[in-house]
Amino acid sequence: MKEALSLVQRLNAHPDSRCWFVSWSPSGTLLASCGGDKAIRIWGREGDSWICKSVLEDGHQRTVRKVAWSPCGNYLASASFDATTCIWKKKNDGFESLTVLEGHENEVKCVAWAPSGNLLATCSRDKSVWVWEVDEEDEYECVTVVNSHTQDVKHVVWHPTLELMASASYDNNICIYREEDDDWECRATLKGHTSTVWSLSFDATGQRLASCSDDRTVKIWKEYPNEAGQGDLSWKCVCTLSGYHGRTVYDIAWCRLTGALVTASGDDSVRVFKEDESSDPDQPVFSLAAQVTKAHNQDVNCVAWNPKEAGLLASCSDNGEIAIWRFQEEED
Amino acid sequence: MASNFSGVLQLTDLDDFITPSQGCVKPVKIEKKQGASVAKIQIEDDGSYVQVNQDGGKRKLEKAKITLNDCLACSGCITSAESVLITQQSHEEFFKVLRNNKDNATEQKVVVVSVSPQSRASLAAHFNLSSSEAGRRLTTFFKGLGVHHVFDTSFSRTFSLLESQREFVERLQRKEQDSKALPMLTSACPGWICYAEKTHGEFILPYISTTRSPQQMMGSLVKGYFADQQGLSPHQIYHVAVMPCFDKKLEASRSDFYLDKAETREVDCVITSGEVQKMLEEEHLSLNDLEPAALDKMFSSVCGNEFLSHAGSGSGGYLHHVFTYAAKRLFGEEVKELKYKTLRNKDFQEVTLEKDGVVLLSFASTYGFRNIQNLVQKLKRGKMPYHFVEVMACPSGCLNGGGQVKALPGQNPKELLKKVEELYMAEHSQLPEDDTDVAELYETWLHSLGEEKAKELLHTHYHTVEKMINGLTMKW
Repeated sequence: MKEALSLVQRLNAHPDSRCWFVSWSPSGTLLASCGGDKAIRIWGREGDSWICKSVLEDGHQRTVRKVAWSPCGNYLASASFDATTCIWKKKNDGFESLTVLEGHENEVKCVAWAPSGNLLATCSRDKSVWVWEVDEEDEYECVTVVNSHTQDVKHVVWHPTLELMASASYDNNICIYREEDDDWECRATLKGHTSTVWSLSFDATGQRLASCSDDRTVKIWKEYPNEAGQGDLSWKCVCTLSGYHGRTVYDIAWCRLTGALVTASGDDSVRVFKEDESSDPDQPVFSLAAQVTKAHNQDVNCVAWNPKEAGLLASCSDNGEIAIWRFQEEED
Repeated sequence: MASNFSGVLQLTDLDDFITPSQGCVKPVKIEKKQGASVAKIQIEDDGSYVQVNQDGGKRKLEKAKITLNDCLACSGCITSAESVLITQQSHEEFFKVLRNNKDNATEQKVVVVSVSPQSRASLAAHFNLSSSEAGRRLTTFFKGLGVHHVFDTSFSRTFSLLESQREFVERLQRKEQDSKALPMLTSACPGWICYAEKTHGEFILPYISTTRSPQQMMGSLVKGYFADQQGLSPHQIYHVAVMPCFDKKLEASRSDFYLDKAETREVDCVITSGEVQKMLEEEHLSLNDLEPAALDKMFSSVCGNEFLSHAGSGSGGYLHHVFTYAAKRLFGEEVKELKYKTLRNKDFQEVTLEKDGVVLLSFASTYGFRNIQNLVQKLKRGKMPYHFVEVMACPSGCLNGGGQVKALPGQNPKELLKKVEELYMAEHSQLPEDDTDVAELYETWLHSLGEEKAKELLHTHYHTVEKMINGLTMKW
């Protein structure tokens, strides 16, 4: 393989704890991480290295499972096992806790901002997906509570441009939601994985969705015009990547700049897949472009492409570490 | 099994509910019997458990049973409550009582059925009848089965509305001394009550109106006044309520509505509109083929042979009646027509009374879980602009209750709901204060019982459900 993943830096981000998730700020200059130590850390580049700029503590009583930046980069939302979602606002050099969203019955597993920044989605072990609306005064109100899954909802993501969202669950399914006549509804249920679906990522156009699962596969789903015309959306699985991952695939990220896919797995590896551009769009072919088999010495929980700097990515692990990698293109 | 709980608890076809957390973890109390300390437990061929003592003696072990009361008093799941309900409150159970009346000459029960106007409208839509016509034919159907009296909960709702009006004015007058006097939150929706008790307990309960729901007002009337009139003990009456909502079964099962002395519930069994339709099917009958019957006028709001309803929402019109009453009583304003302003969504509306630019009354209706969430959060943050809120767990309220007759294959549920709403609204409305029968019951019956007893019969209490703290309910 001419392409390769090279380590830029390793950070002991959440010592003696798990690092659950990392998220790049929209400008790509900051990286937020969260973990079992109930803390959120903000990392920034200084010279050649990444250093911790601030620590957000006392926001949560239990593990912080996910963090998400608002599209403007001024707010950060954190989802915690304490059943709350915290909204943080950038102030001077640090962040201050703005509000706490309560309502989920138990562990909040994921939080995501809509592209407009006016809507926020959360999902929980209570099987529900909630959408919250933010007004000019930073007040949050619940817009909907949708119960389309029969089990724990692990992940929720927004379409890159439309007000459309997707969720992944322990019930092996993916649901796609749209606002319909005064309320949000599940408009498509994507079935195919044979175990928990852990994460989802839309491509740059939003016409395709990548999912990863405990069944050790990655699936690519594509939207098709509905034959019936109106009504439910039609998404079909056009590609399944199997045989690459030795254990659960916990996370997947689709680079909006290069189209490369990266996965995080319980087999401690990080893998990059590239699409064969000559392949049929209805039967795309993805092949392994690079991998690091011992990216971390424990489960890799999350991978994230930097939104501005092509090829730069971050991963994090059960051992509390963050690793920053550079994916080298063929030409280099 | 698909769950039937509606509103904020759980429901079919609608996506506005709280799903249960996990299997039942309620610790079961078992009465220990003294005996040999060492014994074996053996499973018999029929699956029963038998204790075998050292001397070889056998004793069949009792099964631990979870009663509905256990479920209601538990902060765990709410699904187990459902299977318990099915054994206690179902149309099969109702049939059983009717059969027993036919077969058994000695233990006869007087069977009373109280039909809600929302159920009437739902069945009317299903059979393409007017709501009153459906009510008349339902009377025929029930009487044909051996039911003695068929009443109408619009009648008992008149009590609920009158009591709500008085309670509101009384709360408004003590708002300076009592920070939780306002907003007054309505109490007729059992899904909302169950959620409030289990999730927000002490914080929210003081705001909730103590006025009984129409179903439980009817409970007082039937097992109190009616029983006295007929010279019956309450337990000699079997009282069935027909409701648009599955959660009403939970309400009927509350210990607050159990008559300890008589060892009977005020409402023995609640069946939904959908279950009535099922009963008709099982009897191979259609409302279309039945002759209309004369109505039982004792506890029914009727004018001639037509049912009367109340103005306002299809969920009882609480906001409407409390608003008009308070406007007149407190500010001398005669409100002819209420202007509902739709806010965030169709299930969140607001009505205000303004005079010279000053807001005198600010009322709202919040239906469905999402709007209840915002209501609770606003209260918690001290940002509650309302004096009164009509709270219902189901989106679109009671006419869209989880117990209503389901849309037929190919029928659009939204269109069906519209039809049910139209049929419901087509019944003429009556002002609660104009009902002379109700006024007379206040004068004679309730007055003679004294203030305290009357309050007990017209109001109720709520209880915080303590969160269980033990290893089994830990949420990993």
